[in-house]
Amino acid sequence: MEMSSNNLSPTEFPVLHKSFSLNIKGNKTDIVICKYNDSFMVMATQIGCMGTILHARKEESVSTDPTFHVAVIFGKRDEPFLVACARQLIEHISSYGSTRPLVLSLGLKDHSPGTMKEIIYAVMENRLW
Amino acid sequence: MASKELEENLSELQIGGNGEKKPVENDVSEGEVKVSCFTEDLQDVTLHFQIVKFSKQIYAWIGCNSAKLGHLYAAATTRPNNNVSVTSLLGGTSDNTGSSIARRIVLKTGLNVVVACNIPKDSPMLEATAERKLIERLASLGYFSPKEKYRN
Repeated sequence: MEMSSNNLSPTEFPVLHKSFSLNIKGNKTDIVICKYNDSFMVMATQIGCMGTILHARKEESVSTDPTFHVAVIFGKRDEPFLVACARQLIEHISSYGSTRPLVLSLGLKDHSPGTMKEIIYAVMENRLW
Repeated sequence: MASKELEENLSELQIGGNGEKKPVENDVSEGEVKVSCFTEDLQDVTLHFQIVKFSKQIYAWIGCNSAKLGHLYAAATTRPNNNVSVTSLLGGTSDNTGSSIARRIVLKTGLNVVVACNIPKDSPMLEATAERKLIERLASLGYFSPKEKYRN
């Protein structure tokens, strides 16, 4: 079994999380951001469930810029702005020096770029990376 | 009033970049989404649990000694007969430690769940303990009623 590499006091929960709510175009949006040892989890919902779940990871190449791989692992596969949202966030995570992958869940009533931008800004402002 | 709650929630967006360390057994409710975290210390293993409640779904993370995300599974009742279906979303296609937990949670509670679990494979006792603790907590939080057991 793996032992945690962090020496945590008994009262600290090992997973950091932040939970907040905002209004986007009249839709109440709940966002939860969690930081695990090996990944980040961001959940944004307007519909009371996780919705579409995406996985985004950074692939470090020896040469120049890193590349990113984004995939829908559950839910809508025909909404390009969901993929774009994940792509934006994984690049943001990478720009802060973290190589951890991101699991992003978006349960949204509308998939317009305006909504995506609001969610991305809100997540960036409350980031845990 | 809804507008006051919205203002309070919006003002919390000004939180800085450092994450908040939540103490064990803390419940945070923001609107309808509730996050509960707790830890169970067993003899040789520490199990961490995180439950995020959405209005129509539950996300649960089970950590065994570490804070890795582990394998991700989704489980729910499906048409036509409300049979329980479970699918692996990330990793875990061969050891199925979390998938059976996810499936049994839906069987016992009728909830729509997404479970992340990093319990190592070939640990049936640990898996059973983790599942029991999680279901006890779900019942005590009122997310389902133990008397109305969902029967497949």
